[in-house]
Amino acid sequence: MPVTLRRGPHLGPLARYILIRFGISILLIFGVTLVTFTLANLVPADPAQAALGERAASDPAIVAAFREAQGLDKPVVTQYLLYIAHLFQGNLGTSTQSHNPVSIDLSVAFPATAELALFVIVFSIIIGVGLGTWAAIRQNRFSDQLFRVLSLVGISIPTFWLALAAFYVFFYQLHWAPGTGRLSASLQAPPKVTGMYTIDALVAGQYTTFFNALSHLVLPGLVLILYTVGLLVRFSRSAVLDVLNQEYVLAARAKGLSPARVVFRYVLRGASLPILTIVGLAFGSLLSGTVLTEQVFGWGGIGQYAYKSATTLDLPAVMGVGLVVGVVYILTNFIIDVVYGVIDPRVRVQ
Amino acid sequence: MTLKMNGTGTRRSLRITGLVALGLASVLAVSACTDNSVSTSSTGAADKTLVIDKSFDLKTSDPARAFELTGSIVDKALYETVLDFEGSDVTKVVPGIASFEENADNTVLTLTMTGTHTFSDGSPVTADDIVFSLQRVQGIAGNPSFLLDGVTVAKVDDKTVTLTSATSNPALPFILPNPSLGIVNSKVLQANGGTTGADDAAEAFLNKTSAGSGPYQLESYDVTTKVAFALNPKYAGDKPAYSRVVLENVEGPTQKINVQAGSTQVALDLNADQVQGMDSSVTIKKDASPYLIYSWYNQDPAVAGGVTNNADFVKAVRQGIDYDKLLSIAGEGSTQPGGMVPSQFLGAITSDPANVFDLDKAKASLAASGYAGQPVTFSYPNDITVNGLQMQTLAEAIQSQLKDVGITLTLAPSPISTFLDAFRAGTLQSGIMYWGPDYPDPADYLVFNPGESLGLRAGWAAGMSPDVTAAASAASAASGDDARKAAYETWQNTANASGPFIPVIQPGQYAVTTSEITSLDLNPVWTVNIADIK
Repeated sequence: MPVTLRRGPHLGPLARYILIRFGISILLIFGVTLVTFTLANLVPADPAQAALGERAASDPAIVAAFREAQGLDKPVVTQYLLYIAHLFQGNLGTSTQSHNPVSIDLSVAFPATAELALFVIVFSIIIGVGLGTWAAIRQNRFSDQLFRVLSLVGISIPTFWLALAAFYVFFYQLHWAPGTGRLSASLQAPPKVTGMYTIDALVAGQYTTFFNALSHLVLPGLVLILYTVGLLVRFSRSAVLDVLNQEYVLAARAKGLSPARVVFRYVLRGASLPILTIVGLAFGSLLSGTVLTEQVFGWGGIGQYAYKSATTLDLPAVMGVGLVVGVVYILTNFIIDVVYGVIDPRVRVQ
Repeated sequence: MTLKMNGTGTRRSLRITGLVALGLASVLAVSACTDNSVSTSSTGAADKTLVIDKSFDLKTSDPARAFELTGSIVDKALYETVLDFEGSDVTKVVPGIASFEENADNTVLTLTMTGTHTFSDGSPVTADDIVFSLQRVQGIAGNPSFLLDGVTVAKVDDKTVTLTSATSNPALPFILPNPSLGIVNSKVLQANGGTTGADDAAEAFLNKTSAGSGPYQLESYDVTTKVAFALNPKYAGDKPAYSRVVLENVEGPTQKINVQAGSTQVALDLNADQVQGMDSSVTIKKDASPYLIYSWYNQDPAVAGGVTNNADFVKAVRQGIDYDKLLSIAGEGSTQPGGMVPSQFLGAITSDPANVFDLDKAKASLAASGYAGQPVTFSYPNDITVNGLQMQTLAEAIQSQLKDVGITLTLAPSPISTFLDAFRAGTLQSGIMYWGPDYPDPADYLVFNPGESLGLRAGWAAGMSPDVTAAASAASAASGDDARKAAYETWQNTANASGPFIPVIQPGQYAVTTSEITSLDLNPVWTVNIADIK
């Protein structure tokens, strides 16, 4: 009778690949905490002096109390270890500017940015990849030249200028768009579920608030869409062009498949890896906050929070933002890596 | 390779892209139809929302901790103070929750509660609330705690509270209207972690719910975007014109567009350039800002490099700055202060012969100083503006003007967060900085004296200028408006003659309103009292 040896659970190549990428992501997050903490402590300025008013900063007792409260009186290594220990408890410290726990501030700012980023990325993918593919398959024709010029314009125009110009034209001159903020002043924010006003308004059945929040998304969204679409058109066009001349595409054509089938089944699938990469980077960038656009439109997202924290030397907030941005990028890349593995078997085997 | 696009799929793709673009346009069209302006009601202003744009420096709405411009606007709306100012006049103190009397040597100030004042929860404001609120400011040891340094607060009876100062304190009545000294509901606060010590834990509560007797109560509070106020139905004073107010965090360029479009009624952070060429639909209220920009020259021999501690050198700088040109750069509304006390306050001097531009005299003074052309490091924060006026612009103008005198300034800009370290350590050779009033009394400016906090930043140690110290002591001890006015004028004249500080400019301050606003006062302490806006 043959003896069957019991083996541990066998992990397939995809599962192993995902586990390895996950492990690397965790290590990277620790690296991010070290980098943000080190950079914050290398700033040649005293957070106590920046946070306290003129009179309070002249009072040694008040300065000492501030240092103690912020843990600045401890050795740097101890500060870092405490920071890590607090992170495990979900404690990112207390902002010296807002006096709130940084996690609370971020829980307000991040959904605002995420709402804008999702709005932008959805439209950008559809428009950018669509136009980029169209430009590639119509290479050197009028539409290709037109889209290339438009994408160059989208990438080249400074976002802060475009934001101000769009605000001036569509809000002030044409009255097509609402003013600054995420809601009109006359309306109150819907009860918080996700922190994204459009979704929360729908959940609460507040349709007036929903349309108002949606209308406030449009102008900052358009400003960011123009840039993101410009980026995606160029990369999509380039990726599709690379694939169009591959032998398997020629073979598909030679078999007599329709151009649409060739594009959707063969070309776009082949071009998806570089497109996914740039989509991931663009989405990560949007989620990290777009400082200037948020400033112009008074959006109250993570970009505006980061700017205020940096200029006021609010180190707990700066480290909190740095950590969130780092995690956003790592998570985005992790997801893209997983999708790579799913789409392209060669990747997971490697 | 080029694919011939005659397949239906690729056309569908393009159609989808077109539909998405159409969708975006539709959303834009919807947005055009939604409510872009403030809510308006046929019943008049009392049912309308007032929107004010402000570039936020907000940290907290807890009065015992707030000491920023935005915080003062917020707390002025939420809390009453024991004493008050009317409109923009900060030279005369009027009763708030209480009236006051002072003893002859200004060491004991007696507050007597007047009328009936009620917190938003309906409970009456009591002497215990006053004592608790003021002791809480002292005990927390936050930014505004210095306002009551050396003051003992005690309840005498149910209507009377005394504030006893260790030394003569004639400035105290001018300090008490500060919104940081707003009276909070002690019972509510104590139930939510409030104490009069460093262990106070009521800030988070006060950032969600106000506990005051002011004209408004907190509707919502977000430190980065907006603060909304609803009427306090229990307010003892006149009912404000607007039932709801939204204070929004908006930057200057956007404020300009907002107020011209009418989506906001008041814009508070426009500078001289931005108010130029605005259309006739808005009203521009301009005044000199109480913020004073000054130049300093370090007297510490270890820092001065043998240059800036030379009295003739400082004199040459005073005479070499073309103040009128700086005023033209700063724009309308700006003014040249005669001394370190801003033009709005008691004891301000309008001009001083020591600070008058005269190129020939400046060159003569420089020659007398023995200055041999050594570069002088001129420091300033380059990432901030004072009422919209960039310190960078001002520094470059002074550098250019002093070059005509023969002085070589090496500009040393740095971000405010790094600048403050060196500035407060007194290690900067020279530069420009600003000072905002902590309270509208000349006593606030005695820090610009030898051995005092600001004096030390210019290396001006105690004993270096006995005449200035003596004049400052006399000013500090003076009692009564006339005597104080004269003493502070003398102190400033003396300091201008031999001190290291040169008062350079008070920039213009602007409030731009839509035509709907008929009354708005700019106040040096709280910028605007939103309950008074009509």
